[in-house]
Amino acid sequence: MGLIGMNQLTEEEKYEHFMKRIEAGEKIEADDWMPEEYRMALIKLISMHGISEIMGALPEKEWVPRAPSLRRKLGIMAKVQDEMGHGQLLLRVAEDLIKPLGKTREDLIQDLFSGRLKFHNVFHMPAPSWGDAGLIGWLVDGAAIITQTNMLNASYGPYARALKRICAEEVFHAQHGEAIIMALAEGSEQQREMLQDAINRWWESLLMFFGPDKAERTGSSKQDITIKYKIRTKTNEELRQDFFNKYIPRIKSLGLTVPDETMYYDEEQEKWIYQQPDWNKLKQIMKNQGPKSEERLKLRMTAYETNAWVREALGVKSKAM
Amino acid sequence: MSNQSHDFYQEFEVFSRKSDTAPMQYQFSLLAPNHEIALVMAQENFMRRESVADIWVVKRSDIRKMTQEERETLKRLDNKDYRMTKGYGYLKKKWRKFEQKMLDEKEILSWGGGGKQ
Repeated sequence: MGLIGMNQLTEEEKYEHFMKRIEAGEKIEADDWMPEEYRMALIKLISMHGISEIMGALPEKEWVPRAPSLRRKLGIMAKVQDEMGHGQLLLRVAEDLIKPLGKTREDLIQDLFSGRLKFHNVFHMPAPSWGDAGLIGWLVDGAAIITQTNMLNASYGPYARALKRICAEEVFHAQHGEAIIMALAEGSEQQREMLQDAINRWWESLLMFFGPDKAERTGSSKQDITIKYKIRTKTNEELRQDFFNKYIPRIKSLGLTVPDETMYYDEEQEKWIYQQPDWNKLKQIMKNQGPKSEERLKLRMTAYETNAWVREALGVKSKAM
Repeated sequence: MSNQSHDFYQEFEVFSRKSDTAPMQYQFSLLAPNHEIALVMAQENFMRRESVADIWVVKRSDIRKMTQEERETLKRLDNKDYRMTKGYGYLKKKWRKFEQKMLDEKEILSWGGGGKQ
């Protein structure tokens, strides 16, 4: 662009310049010119990602007081703290994007409470056993790693930088989960059953985690827009197939099964053929009508309200000065 | 609620260095009501594992950042060989003729004796 100011360009020229930048692999920063569609897609994606990290800590924190040993308790506490930290990072990225719209963190939290801001489908589900605690780390975080590493080179700089930090910690999360499921897999018959039950319980949610392969299944999908703007490179279905490639052999190697007897790898098409989950369940979850939606939202709301005095107290000095 | 008004939280940028001799490195930003809380949050948010020797928090409003246009003027042409050691790489061959090794960057920076700090 040289010394020509952005404000001398027409909207179309700005758009063209923007697309040229992202096609050249340049990163877009918070105060840069960006198309409205790009900003809105980022806000939707990143605020949901951020709030999901925080809501995701809730099913896992249930297992902190019930962890089977001190080492396991320390491990899961560290993981829960990481999730909250990831939430902080991502909400920060979202806040800079909503700032020009006159919105703040408070609006994001209120949007969560009112149901306008969604959180990830997996965090609407119950985690009734220690097997679930391990499975969340192993397979849910595994699925998250697949989608997040796909965005490490996202065209939006602040998101790419946040993901770099997050993915590095996710490696610990995945191994933490693996350590739990490995102990169960090599344990007693009862422990193996607990693990198999957890897989059966989570399978459908894991399939839905990546989103529908086509918009018709749930009514909407943002995958085309995020690919167009180089926020990510792969489609929902490609990511799901990556997940199968990485994890199905591992599940089988432990003598465990997935609750889909018809599933097989088609050598010719080079992809897994599997039963579609019941996408209506995802539609219900998107309306916050999943098994644990209400309970977890209520927990978040209560924490927000009862801890308001803490936030107020922390700010006292800045007011006095 | 009064504390949720737009001026309660301020944006802070966080910098830290891994060791006493490492350069200050940008970490990320955070929201806090004042510098003291920003420092605590910085540690909790970004330094849960790695070793760290020092942390700075700076109010974002005190930083003069570059605009998009200004950043775009920073792009360099790849024509600065004369400023860089790679423009003088041919000396390696020359010195070989005189049966001497070239004193390259790696060699010269090892002269302090202490190696990596």
